[in-house]
Amino acid sequence: MDVYEVFRRSGHKQPFEHCGTVTAPDSAMALLMAKECYLRREEGQYMWVTRRSDIHSWSDEALFEPAADKSYRFAHAYRDVVRKRELARRRAGQL
Amino acid sequence: MTYEQRLTDFRHYVGTGGKVEATDWMPDDYRAGVLKFIEMHANSEMMGAIPEREQIPHAPSLQRKMSLTAKVQDEVGHSQLLYRIAEDLGKSRETMYLDLVNGRSKFHNVFHYPTRHWGDVAVIGWLIDGAALVTQAALLESSYAPYTRVLKRICAEEQLHLRHGEDITLELASGTDKQRAMFKDALDRWWLPIVHFFGPKSNVGKDLLLRWRVKTRTNEDLRAEFLDRYVPKILELGFSFPTPVPFEFEGHWVLREEDIDWAPLDAIKRNQGPETARRLELRRSTYEQHAWVRQALAEPATQVA
Repeated sequence: MDVYEVFRRSGHKQPFEHCGTVTAPDSAMALLMAKECYLRREEGQYMWVTRRSDIHSWSDEALFEPAADKSYRFAHAYRDVVRKRELARRRAGQL
Repeated sequence: MTYEQRLTDFRHYVGTGGKVEATDWMPDDYRAGVLKFIEMHANSEMMGAIPEREQIPHAPSLQRKMSLTAKVQDEVGHSQLLYRIAEDLGKSRETMYLDLVNGRSKFHNVFHYPTRHWGDVAVIGWLIDGAALVTQAALLESSYAPYTRVLKRICAEEQLHLRHGEDITLELASGTDKQRAMFKDALDRWWLPIVHFFGPKSNVGKDLLLRWRVKTRTNEDLRAEFLDRYVPKILELGFSFPTPVPFEFEGHWVLREEDIDWAPLDAIKRNQGPETARRLELRRSTYEQHAWVRQALAEPATQVA
């Protein structure tokens, strides 16, 4: 018996999301168990199962820490628009 | 890092609202405590399906029979979800089953009592599910994250069960004298077990599960919330309470501690409740009768040419 991770998706607008785990001897049975456990009330129309041992992850989550300041990847790095627009407007008036 | 330092860091982490995953480092006491707690919850969902199951043949209509059957299936489903995450803490399902039937692990007090008639289904579905929902909703803030994810799903279904139980209650309460007497009889028998359900007053200093935020609220706090929420609703339907009788005090519905007889709960803790032996025997015989199903499922499918 293996542990299978279960993912489901409702419709096409949302991504697949992890919803739980089941224990099963093979993927066909895992799908059946997953349907019984996680689709009892039309919570989705699509389902994936995969062996837990086939899922790969970082062993050390500290590796997610950015190596340097990467604030330019976020919208908050581009604030103060009103003042900047005012400067640009004034500069345009000088032409 | 020494064990002591790790322990201090862990305490600080959960103490400030940090969440723990199955693959994270955790102190042995935390792992054992969470496992025992979730296993008890899983056992209770499994054993809790039995009392209501007894009443399926006595449902007053086909509709009621189908809805009660679905509810019983939901409860067994909850036990499957919970046993699954308990397994991830390092105890096999087989061992959890053996510990249950051999009396080494526990299940909730209310499932150690007999059911007599359809009135019991109303009280269990409305008040016991209502009590369970108060405690489970509080656990949504637990520090053990896999438990909170499963609880989210369980609470959604328990909300439905509560509506189901209230619907049966309202049908009896607005029915004939005989129907009202059925509800009253069931309430009289179940009231003390429901009061016990939340447990005796928590020992805040000693309770490790509280300190590690596996549980976030005390037993007496949860009982108080239940009384405030349900006592007025029961009175509104024109029913009275047996001992311990709740009364109004400073805007809250409360019980006097000395009015609560704890002896029946103590007997259940020793697995000596009125139905303990019979229910565990049923669990054991069902499990053994279904051995062939587990055996068939355990073998991966083979291709037939």
